[in-house]
Amino acid sequence: MLTTRVSAKRTKRAFHAAALAVGVVLTTAGCSGDSFLRMGMPTPITEEGSIIESLWTNSWLTAWIVGALVWGLLIYAIIRYRRRPGDGLPEQTKYNMPIEILYTVAPLVIVLVLTFFTWRDQAELTELTDRPTHTVGVVGFRWSWTFNYFEEDVYEIGTPGTRPVLYLPVDETVRFELTSPDVIHSFWVPAFLHKMDVIPGRNNKFEVTPNTLGTFAGKCTELCGADHARMLFDVKIVSRSEYEAHMQKLRDAGQTGRLDSGRSVDAAGVTS
Amino acid sequence: MKIEGGLFAGGAVFYIAISIIYSVVSGDVVGTTVLALNGGLALIIGFYVLFTGKRIGSRPEDRLDANIDEADPNYGFFSPHSWWPLPVAAGAAITFVGLVFATWLMVIGVTVLLVAVFGWLFEYYRGDFVS
Amino acid sequence: MTILNERPITSEYAAPRAVRKERLGRTIVKWITSTDHKTIGYMYLITSMVFFSIAGVMALLMRAELARPGLQFLNNEQYNQMFTMHGTIMLFLFATPLFVGFTNILMPLHIGSPDVAFPRLNMLGYWMFLFGGMIVCAGFFTPGGAASFGWFAYAPLSNAVNSPGAGGDMWLLGLALGGLGTILGAVNFVTTIFCMRAPGMTMFRMSIFSWNALLTSILVLMAFPVLAAALIVLEVDRKFGSVVFEAANGGAVLWQHLFWFFGHPEVYILALPFFGIVSEILPVFSRKPIFGYKGLVFATIAIAGLSMAVWAHHMYVTGAVSLPFFSTMTMLIAVPTGVKFFNWLGTMWGGSLSFESPMLWAIGFLVTFLFGGLTGVLLAMPPLDFHVSDTYFVVAHFHYVVFGTVVFAMFAGFYFWWPKFTGRMLDDRLGKLHFWLAFVGFHTTFLIQHWLGVMGMPRRYVDYLDSDGFTDLNMISTVGSFILGASTLVFFYNIYKTYRTAPLVTVDDPWGWGGSLEWATSCPPPRHNFHTLPRIRSERPAFDLHHPEAADSH
Repeated sequence: MLTTRVSAKRTKRAFHAAALAVGVVLTTAGCSGDSFLRMGMPTPITEEGSIIESLWTNSWLTAWIVGALVWGLLIYAIIRYRRRPGDGLPEQTKYNMPIEILYTVAPLVIVLVLTFFTWRDQAELTELTDRPTHTVGVVGFRWSWTFNYFEEDVYEIGTPGTRPVLYLPVDETVRFELTSPDVIHSFWVPAFLHKMDVIPGRNNKFEVTPNTLGTFAGKCTELCGADHARMLFDVKIVSRSEYEAHMQKLRDAGQTGRLDSGRSVDAAGVTS
Repeated sequence: MKIEGGLFAGGAVFYIAISIIYSVVSGDVVGTTVLALNGGLALIIGFYVLFTGKRIGSRPEDRLDANIDEADPNYGFFSPHSWWPLPVAAGAAITFVGLVFATWLMVIGVTVLLVAVFGWLFEYYRGDFVS
Repeated sequence: MTILNERPITSEYAAPRAVRKERLGRTIVKWITSTDHKTIGYMYLITSMVFFSIAGVMALLMRAELARPGLQFLNNEQYNQMFTMHGTIMLFLFATPLFVGFTNILMPLHIGSPDVAFPRLNMLGYWMFLFGGMIVCAGFFTPGGAASFGWFAYAPLSNAVNSPGAGGDMWLLGLALGGLGTILGAVNFVTTIFCMRAPGMTMFRMSIFSWNALLTSILVLMAFPVLAAALIVLEVDRKFGSVVFEAANGGAVLWQHLFWFFGHPEVYILALPFFGIVSEILPVFSRKPIFGYKGLVFATIAIAGLSMAVWAHHMYVTGAVSLPFFSTMTMLIAVPTGVKFFNWLGTMWGGSLSFESPMLWAIGFLVTFLFGGLTGVLLAMPPLDFHVSDTYFVVAHFHYVVFGTVVFAMFAGFYFWWPKFTGRMLDDRLGKLHFWLAFVGFHTTFLIQHWLGVMGMPRRYVDYLDSDGFTDLNMISTVGSFILGASTLVFFYNIYKTYRTAPLVTVDDPWGWGGSLEWATSCPPPRHNFHTLPRIRSERPAFDLHHPEAADSH
């Protein structure tokens, strides 16, 4: 019975190793209970962000449940069907139609459910309103950003060494119009939970409604050359009055007009 | 060769159908074109394989009850070893590098390539192999 | 109680060993003029491993740079060259040739044929791979350095204005040359499988590996010509001033469509052969046939077919593609992949499992690939992809699926087929050490990167701010990467140690439970593979030959 004791000890060791691994992951990921559902996701600061956040956590819940089931089956099989001395040939099962149908249909159902929620949410997130309260023309260039405040007719521009700051009034819908004079960049504010590429030759648009005050980081997320990692910016969500004050500051600094990439814009602020 | 041909023919039907669906859903020219051409590729190969299969009929490898000795004992000629693949590839490589750096390199590359291709093609029709 | 002590299988035709040692020059000439699919396959495998090591060192350099904020020893441009070449080498010069190498050696053996349909074309493909790879890497020796525009080479970043220098041109043409070689290899494989199977070896008795090799070759035929065309047109743009990929002409999105139409099937080209390897190993070490053979074949056909219709899930954030079409197709492709997973589980279920190195690696693949597959389903959903696209979340995802599949299954295949290739076994204890180091190293490196990406770290960033809060996670990832790198040294030591000193294998099947035909011939096989072929009445003819007591209703 030495072999059974050895194999039992090995099984215990395997469990300890697995527990250790899980512990490492938990400590490094932050021990909060919903850490495995958020996976590090920032708290969203826009109305649209809450839609994304809930889809994310629900999808992760589904994924972890499926994962636990399949890993569980695998670990069970490894332990239960281990070869023991004196074992002959196991039953040579080649197929089992009911089981095969089950494990084809079940993933299909899960996937169709996820697809339904996906369709619903992506339609809402990519929607553009008729006349947004604000439009900011974002120009991504090698290697910083220009923010053109269309309604106020002022702009802000940065350098790799000095991050430009985008000011947005809280609780007002803003549309971003993304253009580039050179290569593809991508406009990402992690706290928006949303990004969109800035593609030369295209005018990409998306809208968000920020609802949380504060300062948040922004990053370029499409390789654009040597200083890609320095193409950073900040986003400040502020009260209406602070926003007006900042616009005035830009006017006083002489930063009036528009630094765009040569696309024409009509008086109402709608780009052709 | 029904299964083999069917694989490609089925692919042709699938890709052409997807190409139409994609065109309707997206209106994108690029994707529609590559998918349709893909279907065309599958169609050519599938048609040829099915046609050839019909012509040659059932082979021992298509039958569940075939025995090894049913294969043609004269299996065919296999090249025992050959120097020619190396200069063909070298010629192609020199041509490509010439495209980057200098036209005269391309001339050398194409020459090496052509000589090597002919050497390859006639390898077993010359010298010791003349019947 | 290892498999090695059970039922050794003798062959009357074990190849006699040459006693006289051959001169090195003669051996080199024999190899470079070879038309033997096995020798050509070995050359592919060896060259792929050299490229793997080079690209692996680049990864370690990147991880060392990223361990702490601030630039330590790489500058921006060098770092961009590092990740561009790491990706390029790993995908084009390591994993794809590895598929060609394994298929070259195994597929003719599995179908009972004496060689491939076009032996000299086979060798041509190898040289085109080698020379193409050398041209790509020679970019490092140009004044401007190697290509630095990322392995996707997005336009207009990759044009002559934004990326001047011969490194980019050599990247484009080296890959075109190598790609042509891969296409020729695929032609060879499809023809061989269609036309050179042994009598009784019907399509639905072929090994799963051969089915996967066939479907992979079909994918190569469909995807690589598009890549070759795009590469050559971009090079003409760069060299001769054409404007196909100019931004004003919509060139940026055009390039992405063409590249990803190739790029997505490419990842299935990388995955399918290694799914095939796992499908060969699990039955042997479970002592049961593969579960649901026909279902597996149909699932693989579905994956191959669908993989050509999902490419723009790499382009969700461009705002230029149909989100409903691509998200639905991408979700659909998860279903046959899941089916295959359950087929593998079903093979183990009710079996009699032993855990020699090949089986350990196969199980390691199952554990790893599952997680990568789950994150893939999440990435298929545009509302979620908008946040994590182009971040370390994607880097983590693809390393889980690609490394988990290609590298884990590759090592499983090496430990499994080493006796067949060389006539000697690799040391199993060193193999287990190799596995555990690699497993721990891999997960320490990449699991944490999921969090990093979601928190806000983009990919292809040479550096990050202290205030970002990424430092600790990056440090853990770097430590993991060096453990992973060290594990490969164990493998090379294993090869060195057993090269001359391990006992020769005298039987056809040292593992005892092999099913496919290579286990019915000597270790290594003779020049044209079989002195005699057993009768083929199922998908495991060698098993039927060696275990007649298990014969049932064939």
